[in-house]
Amino acid sequence: MVREELERCGIEFLVWLPDTEARSLYDSIMASPRLRLIQVCHEEEAMGVYTGLYLTGKKAAILIQNTGFFHSLDGLRGLILNLELPLLLMVGYRGYHELKDGKQPFDSAAVLTEPIMDTLGIKHYLMDTDDQVGNIGRAYQETMETNRPVAVLIGREYN
Amino acid sequence: MDRTEMLRVLAKHRTDEIVVTTMTTTWMWPSITNNPDLDYPAYGVMAQGASIGLGIALGRPDRKVLVLNGDGSQLMHLGSIVSIANAGAKNLVLFVVQNDQYEMTGGQPIPMAGKIDFASAGKALGMKNGYRFDDPSEFDTELPHILREEGPTIVALRVSGPLGERRRPNMKQEVRRFREMMLKLA
Repeated sequence: MVREELERCGIEFLVWLPDTEARSLYDSIMASPRLRLIQVCHEEEAMGVYTGLYLTGKKAAILIQNTGFFHSLDGLRGLILNLELPLLLMVGYRGYHELKDGKQPFDSAAVLTEPIMDTLGIKHYLMDTDDQVGNIGRAYQETMETNRPVAVLIGREYN
Repeated sequence: MDRTEMLRVLAKHRTDEIVVTTMTTTWMWPSITNNPDLDYPAYGVMAQGASIGLGIALGRPDRKVLVLNGDGSQLMHLGSIVSIANAGAKNLVLFVVQNDQYEMTGGQPIPMAGKIDFASAGKALGMKNGYRFDDPSEFDTELPHILREEGPTIVALRVSGPLGERRRPNMKQEVRRFREMMLKLA
């Protein structure tokens, strides 16, 4: 489902580092003839690889977890925000369900995710139910129009 | 070897390769380059040169991409070497300009200054070829072969010598210019 939505947007490269929310998505994307997965060792690298792909005119997106999003911040600041590049940023929302249900989350990752995005001026959509998968296309269109990163927070596993 | 001499050797042999500069090479390369249209300065961000080079190499597999990274930057994202190798970027040559200092911040030594062998480390991390030069004439002799052979390749360049004049490229303009150039080179 997510894979089809990414393909519909014309995304050719998905720069990523594995996370729990994207476990099933991995197999699905590996089977896609239209999408190429580029794996990095640290989420900040994803910002550089994405920028390089953008410079060549390729359509790409990033898929990381919220903990990795925290890792990536200086690259995101220095490249995507400073240079005003569009970016579809898909982020596994670890701890979202505890947060939503009013339980004490496992750690601070979920609690800090949206406040940090808000501080950086990154608009974000939630994708936690099937009818929210279209938020990928919405976020992609918005980022292309505004040259600001737009995030999709992934609350549960998709394929 | 003197870094100006090293960059002159690179400009002598470079033809239509894309060159990505970082940190202090961004100050020096503009007065030495032989093909400014195909230069991209990865300026204003820390340690992203190798990753930006990888993205360009993946987006333009028909072109060779030469990255002039700094040693401190390379240490900050040592894993970027593994990502380059894993992506199979055959068209990428990663030069690590090694002066054993954080030059941009006043010359403080990098950890293990003088003792790191980036060529061997790079090969151990998956790069296909690894070289190390501290003599410009040897670099001059070997470079044509390095530019021709299939990568990914890592080249450690032991350098010293004065810096160029500090420049601060207008990065928004650089992004527009370089991207338009890439789209024109269909």
